[in-house]
Amino acid sequence: MKPNVQSSRAGWLSPGNIARWVAIGFALLWSLAPIYWMLSTSFKTELEAARLDPTLWPEAPTIANYSGLMGTSLPFVSFFVNTVMSCLLTAIVCVVIATPAAYALSRARFRLAGTVGYAILSFRMLPMVVVLAPLYLLLLNAKLLDSGTGLVVGFTTFGLPFAVWMLKSFVDAVPIEVEEAARVDGYPRWQILLKVVVPLIMPGILTTGTFVFMEAWNNLIYPLTFITTIEKQTLPAALVLTFTGQFKTDWGGMMAAATITTLPLMIAFFAVQRSMVRGLTSGAVAGA
Amino acid sequence: MAAETTTTEVRVRSRARHEPWLDRMVLPTLVVMAVVVGYPIVYTIALSVQNYNLLDFRPAAYVGAANYTKLAGDPIFWGSLTNTAVYTFGSVGVSALLGLALALLMENLGGARFRAIRALLLTPWAVPFVVVAFLFRYMYLQNGGVINAVLLSTGIIDAPIPWLNSSTLALPAVMVANIWAMAPFFFLLLSAALSAIPNEVIESARVDRAGTWGMIWHIKLPFLRNPLLISSLLMVISNFNDFAKIWAMTQGGPGYSTSTLVVYVYRLAFERFEFGYASAVGVIWLIMLMVLAWIYMRVLRMESR
Repeated sequence: MKPNVQSSRAGWLSPGNIARWVAIGFALLWSLAPIYWMLSTSFKTELEAARLDPTLWPEAPTIANYSGLMGTSLPFVSFFVNTVMSCLLTAIVCVVIATPAAYALSRARFRLAGTVGYAILSFRMLPMVVVLAPLYLLLLNAKLLDSGTGLVVGFTTFGLPFAVWMLKSFVDAVPIEVEEAARVDGYPRWQILLKVVVPLIMPGILTTGTFVFMEAWNNLIYPLTFITTIEKQTLPAALVLTFTGQFKTDWGGMMAAATITTLPLMIAFFAVQRSMVRGLTSGAVAGA
Repeated sequence: MAAETTTTEVRVRSRARHEPWLDRMVLPTLVVMAVVVGYPIVYTIALSVQNYNLLDFRPAAYVGAANYTKLAGDPIFWGSLTNTAVYTFGSVGVSALLGLALALLMENLGGARFRAIRALLLTPWAVPFVVVAFLFRYMYLQNGGVINAVLLSTGIIDAPIPWLNSSTLALPAVMVANIWAMAPFFFLLLSAALSAIPNEVIESARVDRAGTWGMIWHIKLPFLRNPLLISSLLMVISNFNDFAKIWAMTQGGPGYSTSTLVVYVYRLAFERFEFGYASAVGVIWLIMLMVLAWIYMRVLRMESR
């Protein structure tokens, strides 16, 4: 790959420009070929998906793999609903709890501010597997094991610290003068937060919520350990668990299930992709 | 982190003596974190000095540092530690380079067409980890996997390669899947950082007749250094914790050849139910991550200065 950044001036057919387009072409191929392969396989019959000489395009395209998911052998619809519900709830809970904390860490002065900020950030870096066993026992005692609520509690361990730091960077970007008028009028801080700051950082709140949603959607270790009833399982864990039975050889069905698992995440991702750059750069790169 | 708003700073300093210890608004977060993270950490540390196996049906017994000495002589632990380092630094390094190359390639390309290309290049990032794992597992199949099929038909190899079933190839194969999924993150962040370089800097370098490579090396890379460092650290931390991809692709096998620390702890705790021993591994790991977190904070503070 030889990027030639200035060659855009030199016309379309300059060697630098051609090299650049070839490189971009390779990058597109590298990024999209696996996704194409997933889609293409999901429309193949079980026999064709297992062929030794794979076909690029399904010879006899079929939606049997998708309609099969709606069938009786697996509660696929419940998996889908479970995942959406638990991830959505996690995103809402995290954002609601994190917003006042982010506001306080950004604006208020208190002696433990630095310590609290550092503690929250280091919790973010905590390996989930370390808290797995104690969390398991905690949920067991609270009778939350094998429930969606228990999952939300688990997802909070990484969602909440992330949300605090991300939201803090959005509050930091709001000029303090905006709040002055409300402050002069003697409004309490809660009202300033709710009526002035929250509307201003709404895009940030949505971006943060989407990020938490995506991370929860990606999580495998908590549902795998906390959920024991298959009907209550999330999509990622269900894919892993059913692979030992249902999908063992049925790659077409597997890829259809994988496509369904990917779609909501992709929609969420592209919905916030633009503010994501801002969120990431201010939150992770320029931030602190 | 306090320096953004100088007006508050001035006002606050004069009041420093009356500063409260804590602000009520952080309480909900702190309470939740104390329950779901704080308590489990303390519990893990306590477990790590006990002999506690769920299958024993014996009460946990205090064993002092026994778990830790056992750990020091456990080849699987050391192997997992090595795998974690190779997996993490290898994947992050290559992804960062790929992302950087892409960001430089796509720089200055505006318009709807290029926005579409940019979005397409980002799509792997929106694929769930478990799906990445199964997708690559399917493509890596020894018989009927598309990767072997392509390599065979182009004559690069004579016989299908058992990518995920070979103890030497499995780890690199998993890393390729990981790199595929992670490179867009670097591409996105570095593109943003590139567009933040002031135009005057680029213009004056152009007036000085800087060539493409000179421009990249002397002008752009210095600007990208900090974003690159910070995003790499973030990804190092998240890769240390990566479970889904490895578990869904190889379950740590064949043997323990793709076992990272997460996978090893998971196997110890939830397959062998050795909670005490697993906790000791967890504590060691906790210490390593605290060091990383400390470095990260140092870098962030350097950045904000």
